[in-house]
Amino acid sequence: MSEPPVLEIRDLHVTFTAHGREIPAVRGVDLTIERGQTLALLGESGSGKSVTAKAIMGLLDRPGTRVRSAAARLGGRDLLAMSEEERRALRGSAMTLVFQDALSALNPVLSIGDQIGELFRVHLGVSRRQARARSIEMLTLVGIPAAAKRVDDYPHQFSGGMRQRILVAMAVALEPDLIIADEPTTALDVTVQAQILELIDRLRRDLGTAVLLITHDLGVAAEVSDRVAVMYAGRIVESGEAGELYDLPAHPYTAALLAAIPDLDAPASELRAIPGAPPSPAQVPPGCSFAPRCDRASEVCRTTRPPLIPLATGSGRYAACHHSEEMLDAALA
Amino acid sequence: MPPSPDPVQKREPVLRASGLHKSYRGGMLSRGGAVRAVAGVDLELHAGETLGIVGESGCGKSTLARMLVGLERPDQGEVTFRGRPFFARGGVPRDIRRRVQMVFQDPLTSLNPRMTVHDIVAEPLRVHRLSPDARAMRERVGELLTLVGLSPDRMNRFPHEFSGGQRQRIGIARALATEPDVIVCDEPVSALDMSVQAQVVNLFAELQRTLGVALVFIAHDLAVVRHVSHRVGVMYLGRLAELGPAGQVYGAPAHPYTMALLSAAPVPKPRLRGRSRIMLAGDPPSPVAPPPGCRFHTRCWKAAPRCAEEEPVLEAVGAHYAACHFAERAASAEKGAAAL
Repeated sequence: MSEPPVLEIRDLHVTFTAHGREIPAVRGVDLTIERGQTLALLGESGSGKSVTAKAIMGLLDRPGTRVRSAAARLGGRDLLAMSEEERRALRGSAMTLVFQDALSALNPVLSIGDQIGELFRVHLGVSRRQARARSIEMLTLVGIPAAAKRVDDYPHQFSGGMRQRILVAMAVALEPDLIIADEPTTALDVTVQAQILELIDRLRRDLGTAVLLITHDLGVAAEVSDRVAVMYAGRIVESGEAGELYDLPAHPYTAALLAAIPDLDAPASELRAIPGAPPSPAQVPPGCSFAPRCDRASEVCRTTRPPLIPLATGSGRYAACHHSEEMLDAALA
Repeated sequence: MPPSPDPVQKREPVLRASGLHKSYRGGMLSRGGAVRAVAGVDLELHAGETLGIVGESGCGKSTLARMLVGLERPDQGEVTFRGRPFFARGGVPRDIRRRVQMVFQDPLTSLNPRMTVHDIVAEPLRVHRLSPDARAMRERVGELLTLVGLSPDRMNRFPHEFSGGQRQRIGIARALATEPDVIVCDEPVSALDMSVQAQVVNLFAELQRTLGVALVFIAHDLAVVRHVSHRVGVMYLGRLAELGPAGQVYGAPAHPYTMALLSAAPVPKPRLRGRSRIMLAGDPPSPVAPPPGCRFHTRCWKAAPRCAEEEPVLEAVGAHYAACHFAERAASAEKGAAAL
């Protein structure tokens, strides 16, 4: 295994400044994704998962936003040492982003063929005619029927599921090392969501691309990811192989989330609700961010923040909790 | 699933909808004709029960909700409350409005940002003249806030000072103010964070237990609907595809659409990933021009020529109802396979 991971991020921080106040949205995130692997970044709104995605893409370079990290490498290339121009060339070719809302991500006044073709023309410098032919190929790949005819249609002429397929086509067009999919199916219906998840998974297998899937849905993360990282209040609180993490959560937040969602097959009379609400990124409690809502919280949790450390059990599992060992022992006993 | 209220079938329903139709025209969407949002829905709601309605976007579930509370007047058919029609002369009579309330999806846009929580919850009391004076009204608002798990001393604050889950509680307190018999909830938890959803779902269950209010619970999340509902209706393109006790509809679905929907739902169990799933092709057709015959036949793997010509009606299949020409066979095959 000499091949470097596709994505390696160390100690990523993103801080927004608004009205003279600093709001730390991401507070020290490490991510590693191997080739052909899908990592789900799971979290609620405000947990910093989308900000993490945008920071990796380099889309946060604007006033009022500070992004810093100890290391950021994409397939061996050092993103921190690059000029803005070089990073820009990577966006759309080596790493791509699939947005949640396909209707606002596509340009309404350009045909689909022009928008996909633009990728080939800008990054590969091919002719208009060649770009069009490649666009039709891509549309066929993502399962758009009669692609040769529809290539001249505009975004509004497609249904929601088809538009999402077009975004996926654009994301894989230049065979990137990494696809970041930010809630790619949240706006879609259940039956269409299943189609898109399967499409992303098939392309990952066929092309060997790594996928960073940003989602708030425990079900979606379970369906397609190899590894899962759970975010809470700007930090990763637990990560591990999907099956192990769902079976034996080592952080009380993960365990509480799994207990709070109704089970389709085994309906219980009462859901185990988590008290309170996620903290605002502007006012994160000292110590462990989850402590005020946690039923295991003890004195140490309120004063000392637990670091994300490797666990003895499982393959490559990490958790940031003072009580992880007890939790795992209790579950196994 | 919550425990069933006592023999539901025998009593007179509190709310009955018969032959509801609603089309919208005008605006950009009308180029191809009217949007047929709801096209022939019949249902009954009994005292103290929860009827869940599931379906994908555009299936007409929100339009149905609005007709069930009298916010929309059906083009055809009628809704009756304890046998009395909603639209008697012109508007909905005030005493019916009082007994049938609604909880909306987005708690931020359904609460007036310039009104205090007290004024929001007191508004229905004022409209229906339920409090003799300001002091009694204040007391009643305090009671209602306590009932939904909010502290009464926060009643002079504004909606933006509350979190999403708390705002939804305010909306529920407002709906409860008039002591309704029926509350229609349109996607009441889908705007909430997942760690907060369970609190609100549990609140609904508890309110039903203590107050005996009947709920119509509309959502696209299959697991949430199963969790709260005694009976479930599955909608597709403006019509009910299947209707029956929650355990039956989920355990032994008779309509191919219900099967596909259940099969497509993502399950938070990575170990089940390789399971065989029913993959539907394409998106739901547009409600402007629904397919002839069975509305689902364009995406159905069981479709026969008959399905394109003849519209199936909602018929009894075992203990529940399904609108499919092949429902019975589907149901028995499923039973044989799953042995539930």
